[in-house]
Amino acid sequence: MSLPLAPDLVRALEGVVGESNVITDPNRLLSYESDGLTAYRVSPRAVVLPASTDEVARVVELLHEAGIEVVPRGAGTGLSGGALPTADGVVVGTARMNRVLSIDPEDRLATVQPGVINARLTQATEPYGLYYAPDPSSQSTCTLGGNVAENSGGPHCLKYGVTSRYVSGLTVVLEGGQVVKFGGAARIAASGLDLTGLFVGSEGCFGIATEIEVRLLPIAAGVRTLLGIFDTMEAAGHAVTDIIGSGLMPAAVEIIDKATIEAVEASVFAAGYPTGVGAALVIEFDGTEEGLDEDADRAERCCLDAGAREVRRATSEEERLGLWRGRKKAFGAMGRIAPDLLVQDATVPRTRLPEVLARITAIGEEYNLKIANVFHAGDGNLHPNILFDRNDADELERVERASREIMKLCVSVGGTITGEHGVGVDKRAYMDLVHNEVELDMLRRTRRVFDGRGLFNPGKVVPEAEPLASESAGIESAIVEVAT
Amino acid sequence: MKGAVTAASVLPNSRLTAADEHVGLSEALAGADVNRPECIAHPETTEEVVELLRWASADGVGVLPLCSARHVSLASAAQEGRSWIGVATDRLTGIEIYEAADLTVTAGAGTPMSTVDSALRENRQWAPFDPPELLTRSLGGLASDSAHGPLWMGYGELRNHILGMTVVTGDGRPLRLGGRVVKNVAGFDLLKPMTGSRGSLAVITSVTLRAFPEPAEDRVLTLSAATAEELFDAALHVGTAPVLPVSCVVTDASRPADSAAAGASLVVRLHGARTTVDADQRTLETHIGSKFDVITPEQRSALLGRVGDRGAHSPVCLEASARPSRLGALWRALNALDPIAFGIDSYAGLARVGLSEATPTTVSALTEAVEELGGAVRVVRAPTADLRRLGSRPSADEAGIIDRLRDAFDPEGVLWPARQ
Repeated sequence: MSLPLAPDLVRALEGVVGESNVITDPNRLLSYESDGLTAYRVSPRAVVLPASTDEVARVVELLHEAGIEVVPRGAGTGLSGGALPTADGVVVGTARMNRVLSIDPEDRLATVQPGVINARLTQATEPYGLYYAPDPSSQSTCTLGGNVAENSGGPHCLKYGVTSRYVSGLTVVLEGGQVVKFGGAARIAASGLDLTGLFVGSEGCFGIATEIEVRLLPIAAGVRTLLGIFDTMEAAGHAVTDIIGSGLMPAAVEIIDKATIEAVEASVFAAGYPTGVGAALVIEFDGTEEGLDEDADRAERCCLDAGAREVRRATSEEERLGLWRGRKKAFGAMGRIAPDLLVQDATVPRTRLPEVLARITAIGEEYNLKIANVFHAGDGNLHPNILFDRNDADELERVERASREIMKLCVSVGGTITGEHGVGVDKRAYMDLVHNEVELDMLRRTRRVFDGRGLFNPGKVVPEAEPLASESAGIESAIVEVAT
Repeated sequence: MKGAVTAASVLPNSRLTAADEHVGLSEALAGADVNRPECIAHPETTEEVVELLRWASADGVGVLPLCSARHVSLASAAQEGRSWIGVATDRLTGIEIYEAADLTVTAGAGTPMSTVDSALRENRQWAPFDPPELLTRSLGGLASDSAHGPLWMGYGELRNHILGMTVVTGDGRPLRLGGRVVKNVAGFDLLKPMTGSRGSLAVITSVTLRAFPEPAEDRVLTLSAATAEELFDAALHVGTAPVLPVSCVVTDASRPADSAAAGASLVVRLHGARTTVDADQRTLETHIGSKFDVITPEQRSALLGRVGDRGAHSPVCLEASARPSRLGALWRALNALDPIAFGIDSYAGLARVGLSEATPTTVSALTEAVEELGGAVRVVRAPTADLRRLGSRPSADEAGIIDRLRDAFDPEGVLWPARQ
């Protein structure tokens, strides 16, 4: 149970952001109890919604002076519990910081506040023939600030790279309300360390980004989208390796497995994929109109050589959206199958995909769990989705054990425990799979460089120095915490 | 000779050499008013680097990580009266893992980039970055310097190509950063500050790079004009075209090196399938309203070499950045110094000039002028320590964070604290 904030502090916060932007009503706080990883729920002491860098700085100063933890929050779409409140803390949300501050077409730069929705930035830059490349699946709702915190990717980051490639400068609010500017596109010749790059992906543990300068790209003149249908996941995996190995550079290569196809086709999101097949591969090329057909022909040949049953090619934007629907609506469709879904996230070397997928299937069978796979195959970023019912304690425990098995598997083949969702609270217990104690200690030291008192987003990313076994309960422990 | 004697307890004598035997370091130290290293250590494994740094940290001996050392800037590096040694990575060599199908390669930090490049080319792959003297530099040196070139436009900065590293902190803690997959970070991305840290955080012992398939067509186009300024408009137009070249540089490098003729060129590079490149060239020509000359394969290597060098061999080499839209003003500030070589990456807004000479007054004035444009200046090469110290510095707030980060990696201050 969270303790209410002292009335004096509430009044001081209201004095900064306005009375309506400090939320202490327990009913209204329910909306902030979790992010996209709903298995974890903790009610914060309050939520504060500043509108500017100055307001964020003054809010953080007030809270840190009182020794109160600050949990930054964007749209709350994260899938690793990175915006999970702490019972002793206050959530600082960026929902009101939703302005595109500048667009400079000649420099191909834009500066935004952190609460700007990812897709809205591209809408704002489209009239200049420019767009913002990172496109997480939640791009119609997630915010740029959240993308910076998680170093988000998306289907098209295979060709274009993840958020860190596009963030050229930041204004951040650090411990105690200190405002610091990092980098800037104009200052690339300056000496010093890449603090911008370090801050991106820090999951709210260093501070809050309040202004973000990003690089923009020209909108591609053309696009070609293919759908390959395969009898086996292995064949689809080989097609991916052949496409990339042939020198082609698709914008996106996504795999949808049998279980997911069947879930989608049985739902209101039915995309017209054939059922009873092993896997579907969505391949997309973009760029100059001339040459796209040649690239698509070569990719089609790779698919057929790998044993594709058929390859479809979109001939209109409507058809293109149809081919993508099975991928984009996969998570929504799974709601029909089970009440809860754990969207896992890990990365493996691309050539190990067929082997890893077979072993994930075996792990599902061993733990009697249904696991559906949708993932960014081009860069080996897996999303095994474990379907379960949180009210079934036994099943919940099996989910936890199976998750760890999957993470161990991915690490054992040279991969890592997260591709684009971050560590948050969900993966903290797995950090010892990829880092030894010396490396974990280095991460803790780095955190203290920015936040000496540990008041920004505590309990995220890096396990405490205590034995990791205390954290291994994962989801189950979180639910117990909520229950108590 | 305390450093030399006690380093021998960590490494066999056969792997300690006299400082003057290191050609690059000797050149870098020539004329510098600093005390000389007591020896150069040549560890062969990460474990030996760990032992060396633990010893140095315990004994208070300074350590200068060295690759080729041609790019060492020793401005105020030596601390008064402090004993120091060089730790060379020239025996941390060889390709450790090359997964061609996964497009990743891991090699020792001292591995010459030419070795990495040869291995990649055998599989029709390459590493798409083009800093000056790329092939003669070591992989670790490139990472340590965050060296980049005009290909940044199409492929991103070097930091985007480095997937992983093994490093040893100042107090001898070995760390594996990142990994061997494209999405490689679990936890905070320590690779980013490590790339470009110039030995101030840790000694890099191995690096994992992302490789790319060779493009089917690699076309180099030029557009000539009498002055650089005439080409800035064209360069900015290229920057707003609906196609993305992989590089776009305004340079004097297209004229023969032995020619006194004035002139500048816009050099644009396109990659892709032949039909795509043909179309991109037409689109660019329509967009800027001029026809390019296509450079022949025979001419290309020499031209790109000179474009890449951009004053790197001049007595003084400066780098200056501003937003691309301020390139004209940036160029006017640089041109006042009468450069003998230049290359301006219009996409990055990054200019590099070679000068026959410079004084602290002129460099300070340039820095002030460029900072008024919102930009920054870095001294890449200079004959004297007082010049090397100049250029834009991080803000006081950034500097405070950088100092704390260095303390976290190097609590005893063993690694050269004044090298940034």
